Amino acid sequence: MAYIIFLGLFGLVFGMIGVASNPSPYYAAFGLVLGAASGCLILSGFGITFLSLILFLIYLGGMMVVFAYSAAMAAEPYPEAWGNMSVVFYVLFYCVVLGMGLGLVDSIDVLSIVGEFSVVRSDWGGVSVLYYSGGWLLLILGWVLLITLFVVLEVTRAVKYGSMCL
Amino acid sequence: MNPYALSIIMSSLAIGTTITLTSSHWLLAWMGLEINTLAMMPLMIKQHHPRATEATTKYFLTQAAASTLILFSTMINAWSTGQWELKELSTLPSNMMTIAIAMKLGLAPMHFWLPEVMQGLNLMTGLILSTWQKIAPMTLMLIIFNTLNVNLLITLGFLSILVGGWSGLNQTQLRKIMAYSSIAHLGWMMAILPFSPALATLNFLLYLIMTSAMFMMMILLNTTKINSLTTTWPKTPIMTSISMLILLSLGGLPPTTGFMPKWMILNELTKQHISTIATMMAISALLSLFFYLRMAYALSMTQSPNQTNSTTTWRHKSKKMTILLTATTTMSIMMLPISPCMTPLY
Repeated sequence: MAYIIFLGLFGLVFGMIGVASNPSPYYAAFGLVLGAASGCLILSGFGITFLSLILFLIYLGGMMVVFAYSAAMAAEPYPEAWGNMSVVFYVLFYCVVLGMGLGLVDSIDVLSIVGEFSVVRSDWGGVSVLYYSGGWLLLILGWVLLITLFVVLEVTRAVKYGSMCL
Repeated sequence: MNPYALSIIMSSLAIGTTITLTSSHWLLAWMGLEINTLAMMPLMIKQHHPRATEATTKYFLTQAAASTLILFSTMINAWSTGQWELKELSTLPSNMMTIAIAMKLGLAPMHFWLPEVMQGLNLMTGLILSTWQKIAPMTLMLIIFNTLNVNLLITLGFLSILVGGWSGLNQTQLRKIMAYSSIAHLGWMMAILPFSPALATLNFLLYLIMTSAMFMMMILLNTTKINSLTTTWPKTPIMTSISMLILLSLGGLPPTTGFMPKWMILNELTKQHISTIATMMAISALLSLFFYLRMAYALSMTQSPNQTNSTTTWRHKSKKMTILLTATTTMSIMMLPISPCMTPLY
């Protein structure tokens, strides 16, 4: 389990560097997805499984939308990937900064992660029981989301000739 | 509207009320109310003119606020008592719940949205708003009645009767008058609810029937103002005179059905030794009766001072479906003789 958390922490740092080093929005969104997924992995490693699942579904769902928008709006003919010179410069710069930071804090021992891994904590587990014993509730919730979609479409459909003219 | 969207919206309107009616868990009850609100909005905004948009926005804001208050009070209740059962409300959540549901129903201090929303809708949507949309919140009230505060309910009820009658006096628009009529009727239900929920149910059912009859009459005659009521007699003379009886029934005059709930409620309140409130309610009902009588007067009691030149207009056989109108009209006029069957209720 310690290795999985290490993998998550590594992915988090890797993904954040991937975002911060100014590549094209395509790849920056990939970096965000990687960072978010790694964060969820760390949370589930600590036993906060339900929150991890919620974050994975909602945050990554939103992230996908952001990615789709940025890809649609900023489609470049020659996107800058992580292999390009400017990006590589930033990557190296951030790695050096992180290494220096690690050197600073490693000696004073604040990065220690203590035990109690791999248990489902009861407070968040209780929320998931709501959906475990009431699976039909999920169906109704899905129906409500569908209704909301229809309502929004129906309300904004006639914007051109209606009173909500923009 | 797109028929697919319309079918989804109409079925959701049914599903929302059904979920609230069949729930024993506060979360599901709240969810049914939310589905109802959501499904109602596209029907309201269908014409997309500024007034419909305004009405939809007002409806959305008030209903969302009331729903939030419902959710909030149920969460406080779940926090303090550790369960989500519908009937187990403690004091503070039950008072908040009363106010939230009163806001959903449009009872007196929280009633201002109802006439303005109603005025922006077409008649069919107004019919749905004043009948079907009341079923779910009213049922919640009937389920939780024994945890509610008696003084709060009586205050809400009496204020609603008074305000509903008073504000309707100066109106010429039929939809606004119907909204105030709805406020006054719901006031009667709230006032009797802590003493006899069966009578509140009876009053609610008869309110549904009479309001449906009135709205369907307005749809048939295609009228939304008092002054257009006066010219409805050349269209359908019989319907015009029957509508007068529906109005008297809404006002609660004896030979019609509308007298039955008022009679029994006053009887029950007197038996509970709160005859002061009962007297004040009976007197306040006269305010409502005044505007019903004015509508009835404009509708069918005016006569031309000299010989009239116009006759009944030439017309085709109506293609409109009137079976529901017939049924509700008959029931809202002629059900008083069966009131002995209602005596087991109390």
